[in-house]
Amino acid sequence: MVVASRIGRPIVLYARCLAVQIKAVLEYQADFWILMMASVLMNLVGFVFLWTIFSKIPDVDGWTFWQVVVIYALVFVAEGVGSLFFEGTWNLAFLVNRGELDFMLLRPVSPISQVMNCAVGINGLGNLLLGGTLIGLSLSHLHIHWTLGRVALALLLLVSAIATKIGLNLATNASAFWIQSPFSGFAFSMHQLGDLARYPITIYASAVQALITVAVPFAFISFFPAAAVFSKNGWRLGGVELPLRWFGLATPLVAVYCCWMGVFLFRRGLRRYESAGN
Amino acid sequence: MRRAYVMHAKLGLQQMLAYRAGFFLGLLGNLFFLLSMFYLWRVLLKNPRFTHALGWDWSQMKAYLLIGFITGILVSTFTDYTMANRIRTGDVALDLARPIDYQKARFSETLGVALFEFCTAVSVCAIVVAVFGGMQPPTLQAGLLFTVSLLLVVPLKFGIVYMSGLVCFWTTNYLGVSWSRQAIVNIMSGALVPIVLFPVWLQGVANVLPFQAIVWTPARIYLGTIHGTEAVMWLAIEAAWGVGLWILARLMWKVAVRKLVIQGG
Amino acid sequence: MALIETRGMTKVFRTPLKGPGLAGSVKHLFTRRFTDRVAVANVDLTIEAGEAVAYVGPNGAGKSTTIKMLTGILVPTSGEVHANGVVPHKQRIQNARNIGVVFGQRTQLWWDIPVRESLALLKEIHRIPQDRYEATLQSFNELLELGELLPVIGRRLSLGQRMRADLAAALLHDPKILYLDEPTIGLDISVKDRVRAFIKQLIAERGTTVMLTTHDLGDIEDICRRIVIIDEGRIIYDGDLQAVKDTFARERSMHFQLHHPPADPAAIAARVPGVKLVAGEKPEQLGVHFDRFEVSAADVVAAVMTEADVIDFHIDEPAIEDVIRKVYAGQLDLSAAEA
Repeated sequence: MVVASRIGRPIVLYARCLAVQIKAVLEYQADFWILMMASVLMNLVGFVFLWTIFSKIPDVDGWTFWQVVVIYALVFVAEGVGSLFFEGTWNLAFLVNRGELDFMLLRPVSPISQVMNCAVGINGLGNLLLGGTLIGLSLSHLHIHWTLGRVALALLLLVSAIATKIGLNLATNASAFWIQSPFSGFAFSMHQLGDLARYPITIYASAVQALITVAVPFAFISFFPAAAVFSKNGWRLGGVELPLRWFGLATPLVAVYCCWMGVFLFRRGLRRYESAGN
Repeated sequence: MRRAYVMHAKLGLQQMLAYRAGFFLGLLGNLFFLLSMFYLWRVLLKNPRFTHALGWDWSQMKAYLLIGFITGILVSTFTDYTMANRIRTGDVALDLARPIDYQKARFSETLGVALFEFCTAVSVCAIVVAVFGGMQPPTLQAGLLFTVSLLLVVPLKFGIVYMSGLVCFWTTNYLGVSWSRQAIVNIMSGALVPIVLFPVWLQGVANVLPFQAIVWTPARIYLGTIHGTEAVMWLAIEAAWGVGLWILARLMWKVAVRKLVIQGG
Repeated sequence: MALIETRGMTKVFRTPLKGPGLAGSVKHLFTRRFTDRVAVANVDLTIEAGEAVAYVGPNGAGKSTTIKMLTGILVPTSGEVHANGVVPHKQRIQNARNIGVVFGQRTQLWWDIPVRESLALLKEIHRIPQDRYEATLQSFNELLELGELLPVIGRRLSLGQRMRADLAAALLHDPKILYLDEPTIGLDISVKDRVRAFIKQLIAERGTTVMLTTHDLGDIEDICRRIVIIDEGRIIYDGDLQAVKDTFARERSMHFQLHHPPADPAAIAARVPGVKLVAGEKPEQLGVHFDRFEVSAADVVAAVMTEADVIDFHIDEPAIEDVIRKVYAGQLDLSAAEA
């Protein structure tokens, strides 16, 4: 009963946000389509880019076109889920700066879920649709031998990849408790760093690879899970041969770590929260 | 009268300096993008097919990407962002009441901002060159024509950015408009992929649109793939687009103001 | 244990000490210099169940900071806080079930939906059974007149309407403790009266413990029996409200509007010894200050009316702020009241 309510109330809150958003969408239909079109357009441009490159060569660092498309599309899907269900994370800087977090601390629901769930980025729908379509298309071209185990693995890795992105979003946005600005500039620039993980990371210098594997593990949103599903191996980093596939299989652990880090930093930050007027 | 516009240029520069934190964070995003492009093309250009198709090698590609970076920073989001805000809040009515031309005033502001953007972009480029190794300087003639081309990018991009700001008279969703504009400029200017790699039909489309003059024209002049009369012809096209967009923007402004006056915003 | 208890509760706000501009910010990264501002210092407070406590002090004295620590919004720098057996900032969710909070300046209603939906959402959040929810709304309806507010969108409410709706929102789950931070600020008299009546009813019928900060003496007098005065983060008085008033709020001022300037002001003073006459802005105006325990207002009015032609007059009660201001100026000794 207690567990049910813990999960249930954030959903109620989210449903309300969604309802408000849908009302707004109906009121400003043009806006809705502009935003949807923009998010699809932005991601489509990336796809055209890959397509142009691969029309000239069969692979980049041993990755074929459709495999790279999977890496690319995983970033869209993770961002799409992040926008559609957890867009509120990006409002944290505003909430902290204006003292609006106060009321969330006075309700018997976890403040983290109140912050994260109470906004809906409808553009996430565009990302999710396009990303899903691209993954579907890729898989139909890749002739993977799907066993039950591999399907289960792929689903587990997909969920973990999404959770990694959401955890990282929360962790970077928790910087709002330390950096007093109404805009989440730091989190946003980190988000853009994540764009590096749209390609096989083996193309980068070792330091850059280490950065997005260890320091801010964006590579676990796309590159490593894809590597595990495609049974890739042979990753040389700074002259050391690393088992690429095993890194991919570690994605669930990284996801747990990132989410834990997000919650930890949020709670740590909450101790410093100064409310408004100080 | 002219002094009013000089004032606007100064004002633009000052506003830019006041919000530089936001600018530098945006710059960081462009830098990450540049970084990924650098590494990607370094790998791709090991394949002779690309060197062949492009007509240049890795050291020249570095120059290409940096030119894309500079023209990407130049006249980026300041103008349309501030315009969109003033249109949304209705403050644009105050701008209308001023005895100076709205478009010229925004252009003056943009020039002030562009000065700052240009200096920053060039400094960043110097650092990147230091890290990734040098590249060939252009010939004197190419260098001069390239400078002209770079200067002409400012009015051209202003036309695009200014009109995307004006779109906010019809929609409150500036974000969607801005994203769409950035996506289109990114692909059609050649910033993402050199236009020569496009399929032929898409090259045809790109060449009749204004966006190619943002990266493709200056880069080709710098790299010497077009020179002499051909280079001057593309420069003329670039300049003509700048003028054409200016006139188009004027028309759009007239329609927008009529809408504002009739519907009250 | 008392319902609310704090021991040595302290809050220090740390502000970075940095030069202007980007250069200053970068330099600060290395120097890490801060200034500490003590907002609340060593506060020991004990509030029993069912008490109604006024918490007063000038702006910046630490009132809001105290309330925010008691409600668990802020984490104390040091000291202990217990409210209904829980540490508010550690057990936020349990604490949230026990308390209701109203900030006069802000609203917890969602601004983009009707009040009815905001309340329904809070019902879900607090898991209030339908029948109890309806009964609670019904009981609030008499004084808050919620009916007319329910279909209104949050952002379209007037200040007074908003306060009525916010009170309902804060009390839906029938909390044991109600914190009110400046609940009547900016309200007109009739709404003020209604809000006060509602809170009094709440205390009488439900035994809710109330802690309220305000600048309005009327609020305090209507609702509270105990007053806590805080200045520069320290409690300087904690005791009976009547005692403070009898000791310090003795002085009254009457302001008269006359037909003609008084012929002989000294004659008025002679009729009621102990009063002080003050000339008004115009010659036809006259102010009279007196101690209400020594002279009655009726005597003053009679005296002035005998000596001059009165058109109109009014009495100023001293605002609690005046009392407090005098305390700071060292003009009043609080130990006199406590005795």
